[in-house]
Parts: sequence; C-alpha cells; structure tokens
Amino acid sequence: MQGISPNKNGFAESGWIGVRESLPFCISTSLFGVLFGVAAVASGFSVAMSLVMSGATFSATAQFAALQLWVHPLPLGSILLSVFLVSSRNILLGLSVSNYMDGNSLLARFLCLGLLSDPAVVMILREKRSINNLGYAFGYGAALWCSWMISVWLGFTFSNLFVEANLNALSFAGPLVMATMMMLFIKSGRGQVGCWAVSGLVALGMALLDFQPYIILPTAVIAGVILVLIQFEMRKVK
Amino acid sequence: MNKLADVGVVLLLIAVVVYLTRISGYFLGQRLRHIGRLRPVLEVLPGCAMMALIVPAVVHGSLVEFTALVFVITVMWRQDNIVFATFGGIVILFIGEPAFVWMQSNFS
Repeated sequence: MQGISPNKNGFAESGWIGVRESLPFCISTSLFGVLFGVAAVASGFSVAMSLVMSGATFSATAQFAALQLWVHPLPLGSILLSVFLVSSRNILLGLSVSNYMDGNSLLARFLCLGLLSDPAVVMILREKRSINNLGYAFGYGAALWCSWMISVWLGFTFSNLFVEANLNALSFAGPLVMATMMMLFIKSGRGQVGCWAVSGLVALGMALLDFQPYIILPTAVIAGVILVLIQFEMRKVK
Repeated sequence: MNKLADVGVVLLLIAVVVYLTRISGYFLGQRLRHIGRLRPVLEVLPGCAMMALIVPAVVHGSLVEFTALVFVITVMWRQDNIVFATFGGIVILFIGEPAFVWMQSNFS
C-alpha cells in the first residue's frame, strides 16, 4: 500500500519546510525548556545531566514526570512507568502517521522518528502535502530539539532570575499549546469534529468523577474511535 | 561514581522508553494499515488524545487558566496565529492571578 502523499519534494527540501514551519511552536517549546532548566536546578541536576536528559529524551512531559520522582535512591520502576504513561500518546501519534512516511529507508525511519513531535504530526495530517513527510517531521523535530536544548541551558544557567517568578502559573501552558494544535485540526474541517467531541465529553465526565489521567486518555480515545468506526460502517451501508 | 553510573543508566532508560513510544506506534500502524476501516481511525487518534488531555486540565483548572484557554481558542479561530495565541495565553497565565488579586483588593 502506498502512502497517501507521494514524495515530490526530497528529504532535505521537506526538512527545510519543517524547520520553517516549526518556528511558532519553538516559542512554546522554549518556554517549557526554560521551566525544565529551572526545575532541574531545584532537583539537584548538574547542567550536564540536564542537557544529556533533554537531548536524549526530548520530551517535556516525560522529563517533568521523571523529575517529580527524582530522589535517591532512584525509584527506577516508578520513573519508567510514569514516563511510559505520560508518553503513551506518542504511540497514537505514530499510529496516525503510519500511512505518511513511505519511500524512506527503514534506517531513516528508525532514526528520524525519534524526533517525532505532536505539532509535526498535526501539520502532516492537516496539510496532506506532496512532500517527504519523514523529512518534514525530522526538520520540524530538529528545530524544536535545538530550541529545547538552548532553552533548557538558559533556564538552568539563569535559574536564579526565576526565583521570584510564579512558575506554577505556567503549568497550564501544556494544555494551551495542545489547544492551538487542536484548533488547527478543527479548522482543517475534515469532518472528524464529532469524534473529538465524543472524546472530549468522555474525558469531561471522567475528569469530573476524578479518574486518573492515564485511565482517561485510553478510555476517551476508545470512545472517539468507536464513533469513527460506526460512521465508517454507516457510510458503507449507504 | 556508582551514583553517577546509576543516574546515567536511568537517563538512558528514560530516553529508550520515550523513543520506543515514538516508533512503536508507527511500526504497529505499518502492520495494521491494510485493514481498510483502520485509516479513518488512525486519522482521528491525535485529536482524540489531545481532547483527552486538554479537557481534564480545564476541569481542574482555575478561572485564569480558563480565560487563557478561551483567548487561545478565539485567536486561533479568527486568525490562525499560533505565535499570538500561545504568547497571549502565556501572558494571561503569568499576570492573570496577580491581576485578579489586585482587582479584588481595589474594587471590592
């Protein structure tokens, strides 16, 4: 089965498009990077540890989850389980772009998918252009990675400047960034709003009932998937 | 030295876990994509996941956070301007609480 978009642009050209289009999200990434740098200082990290973790992991949610459990002796199992739970949405992101990366070697896919990011997936699914989507995702991810590393270093180095700032107020910045991505999806007008609304309603009900986030995520996603399957079968009947 | 080695191993394992979550979904999708009804399912997954993450955060959020979210949605709906939406939302988060306290102390 061929991918949806034939690769008219090469890997490098598509990568450059990804770099250019990532710039708006580099701002929010930088914010999280600074926050992580400040939090890393508070958790007793060295600058080398912060940068190694950020460079190798490149995931704000996973790194903050690990940081919350960072006490010696390190609770390895708890840290890894927590990191897996907060990163499980990556599995869904990877699933959703599995039709879009054809025409690239297996090695290239293994290497480049390590930089797969939420906004890159949103842009790939929204635009459906004739570009090399793996190159695009790589360029997008590489630019975000650079801004992530620089901002972590800045946050670490200038953490004393943020002592007075109320950084807890920014804990909602993650959902805000996701809301921008969600609006990009909704405005692309591809008729999936009903499924997303069902997921949102299920998540709302479960949140009001105080379910844990790692239970809400799969349940709400399954609810949306059930609706899309029903819609698919109904279209076939028609 | 042992402590440093332990930290290095933990950092490596964290990176491996995150990397595996990034590639496993893609390669699983490659195996399953011949199933016709799966394509529409794959395309709604990210949106469903985002809704499942945004909505609980809003439910447990404050009035300032809700205001910031409304601002972001409005800007994105009207202008599609990611930079303005994100930056404005973050400014609201930063100054919202102090501004709210200031208004309460001056106008009540």
